[in-house]
Amino acid sequence: MIGVLRFLAQLALYVPLMVILGYFSSAPRFAHLPQDRALMRVSFSHAGERLRECHQRTPEELAKLPPNMRSQLDCPRERSPLKVEVELDGRLLLSLDVPPSGLHHDGAATVYRRIELPTGRHEIAVRMRDRPHGDFNHRATTTLDLPPGGSVLIDFDNARGGFRFRS
Amino acid sequence: MLKLVHRAGRWAFLRVESFFNLAFGDRLNPLYYLGPISYFLFWIVLGSGLYLYIFFDTGVEEAYASVEQLTHGQWYFGGILRSLHRYASDGMVLTMLLHLARHFVFDRYRAFRWFSWVSGVVLLWLIYSAGINGYMLPWDRLAQFVVIATAEWFDWIPVFGGTLVRNFIFPENVNDRLFSLLSFIHIGIPLAALALLMVHTQRVPQARTSPPWPIAATLSAALVVLSLLKPALSQAPADLASAVTVIDFDWFYLPVYALLYRWSPGEVWALVGGATALFLLAPWLPPKRRRVSKEGFHLLVRPDNHIISVREGESILDAGLREGIAFPFECRNGGCGKCKATLTYGEIDPGNYQKDALSEAERAAGKLLLCCATALSDIEVEYEPTEPLGGRPIRTYNARVTRMNRLAPDVMQVFLALGPGEQLDYYAGQYINVLLPNGEHRSFSFATAPHVQGEIELQIRLVPGGKFTPWVFDHMQVGDTIRFEAPLGSFFLREDSDKPIIFVAGSTGFAPVKSMVEHALHIGLKRNMLLYWGVRRPQDLYLGELPRQWEREHANFKFIPVMSDPAPEDHWTGRIGLVHEAILADFPDLAGHQIYACGSVDMVAAAHPAFLARGLAQEDCFSDTFLLPAHKPGGAAEIMKPGGGR
Repeated sequence: MIGVLRFLAQLALYVPLMVILGYFSSAPRFAHLPQDRALMRVSFSHAGERLRECHQRTPEELAKLPPNMRSQLDCPRERSPLKVEVELDGRLLLSLDVPPSGLHHDGAATVYRRIELPTGRHEIAVRMRDRPHGDFNHRATTTLDLPPGGSVLIDFDNARGGFRFRS
Repeated sequence: MLKLVHRAGRWAFLRVESFFNLAFGDRLNPLYYLGPISYFLFWIVLGSGLYLYIFFDTGVEEAYASVEQLTHGQWYFGGILRSLHRYASDGMVLTMLLHLARHFVFDRYRAFRWFSWVSGVVLLWLIYSAGINGYMLPWDRLAQFVVIATAEWFDWIPVFGGTLVRNFIFPENVNDRLFSLLSFIHIGIPLAALALLMVHTQRVPQARTSPPWPIAATLSAALVVLSLLKPALSQAPADLASAVTVIDFDWFYLPVYALLYRWSPGEVWALVGGATALFLLAPWLPPKRRRVSKEGFHLLVRPDNHIISVREGESILDAGLREGIAFPFECRNGGCGKCKATLTYGEIDPGNYQKDALSEAERAAGKLLLCCATALSDIEVEYEPTEPLGGRPIRTYNARVTRMNRLAPDVMQVFLALGPGEQLDYYAGQYINVLLPNGEHRSFSFATAPHVQGEIELQIRLVPGGKFTPWVFDHMQVGDTIRFEAPLGSFFLREDSDKPIIFVAGSTGFAPVKSMVEHALHIGLKRNMLLYWGVRRPQDLYLGELPRQWEREHANFKFIPVMSDPAPEDHWTGRIGLVHEAILADFPDLAGHQIYACGSVDMVAAAHPAFLARGLAQEDCFSDTFLLPAHKPGGAAEIMKPGGGR
């Protein structure tokens, strides 16, 4: 009789343990992005223009250099930071100054931002300046209908014409 | 504050464990085997994982499909193993965290335990890493979430700065090689964890790495039932072109990932890094323990008669097991009471245990639980061995006194004969417990060698005011009956060595030495033997002619008597001083020797570390001691454990 009671008592303790394991291994569900929201990500890696322009070395300057380093063009390594702005329906949503990577600031600048948006139709404008002076020199605009759970990615590829919207 | 947390935690653990004891009994309570259960679950995870790996295809399209095929196509085996893989790993997180919490609240993570604690913390992160990595493999929506969240989290670190997540930003960025890499990591991290797990447990003397089989069987059955009732399933296939919205979530492994989207990645790094640093540094954080000397305290273990060291905060059980003492134990958590022993001298902290395992009355009578008690001074503990030495059973005998010789004013030689047909097998150097009518016992070593049949010789030293020895000197007659239990003790001649032997006898500690030397000479032992017999004055060498005779008759035996306090009228010209100091003077290097020391506890306690410091190996140092009256609780007037005539 005691054996039976003990077995039942053990069962009564194992069942909650298994319930805990079974339940919390998959529940409660996690709302990474609420059902009524969409996602916009800005992600690209781009090397800005050089901070200072290249210049042609004069014969005197070349003569001062070792023979193996007498390159006609003198190009400073440091690149310009990127200035990136994103507008949603005419309202400024994002404004970033992205420094170039590398110890000598001569690498590409990388942007990654994750922004949750309300669903529906939106006008998205993005612009970037990748030179030290002047106005934004890369721009793009699009109008998208973002469903719940929809996603739009703003990418930049200079070789493919600049900004791209992928959804 | 920390002490309050410890106290509250201990209270909670003891209450819950007590409740579980009602159902499982105190020897099969799973809460006493949290570490071994974690180990066992790890094996389930490894075993099931190997099977899953056979059927897992490392390709973008194939990964999801192969897991689905395994889950549904062979639900009866592959599906169950997949579920077991998940639930066992979830269970392992649970038991590991409980295991860690228990050691924390019971303050078993500081001082010498720092290594086990730190390796345990590292182990916890390895298991977490392996588990999180495992969720990337099925390439469903959860996998998509986990890889992107991991990349986003690591991208917060400036050196990455947003580059990692670009590996998962476009569907075309993910290729088959990713799954080969993930699989490689998912095998590599558990292997590293397994190696560390072995290091982690290897530091604990006789650590269990598997729970008792009834627990293992019940737990396995419960996991299989859970796997059948609620199989682990994939979610929708990963689609990098769309955002992950609401997903089924494993809260054992991924709570930090949920936090990642409530806090900033930097804050989560601060939390995880800070918590890890806090855990890693915990052994050295206040409150400081009471400092004792680095070597801790001495523990004299009966009936083995070993003196060992106990470190600060170390349970007596761990100290004994570390030195090879065959202490009985089961749960190691103060629940079953199997490691109950008697404190015969010194001060201890009894620790925390279930009241069923050790009652107040038992505690008042000097009982303790070896697994919970820690030493607060030099102590002496007596336990009941479960395994007789050499398989020779310990039993009670009735013997008749056949002869008595007064060897010295305070030393009586007593010969006993067993009943007709009775025989007592023992090892040279072991002892008997003479049982007194009041339930107490007095111990005396065999002074005869085991091959001498028919008579047992004891050398009993008079202790004025004692309960037994004055009776021996004043009243015992030839023909009286003595009741005793035997054979006891692990102080005996090791015949499986070829190292030269040094015998050290203090006063009447000569008795077991006599037994061992006579046995060695009887079997023709060729090893060199040197006997140092230390007494106060020459007349205390109550059988001094006997070792001189051995010396004359056997080239491999030498005898050096040492007087500690000779009087001028003794005209002593031999060695003077403490007996162990004579040995230290003669042997600058004791490596390569075996030493058998028998005498007072003070002599052995002084000699033992000095011999070790001279290069003697711990396993070559054997000692048998007797306790002086001053050490006995209540000041009992009699010496309790003679190594031969106390």
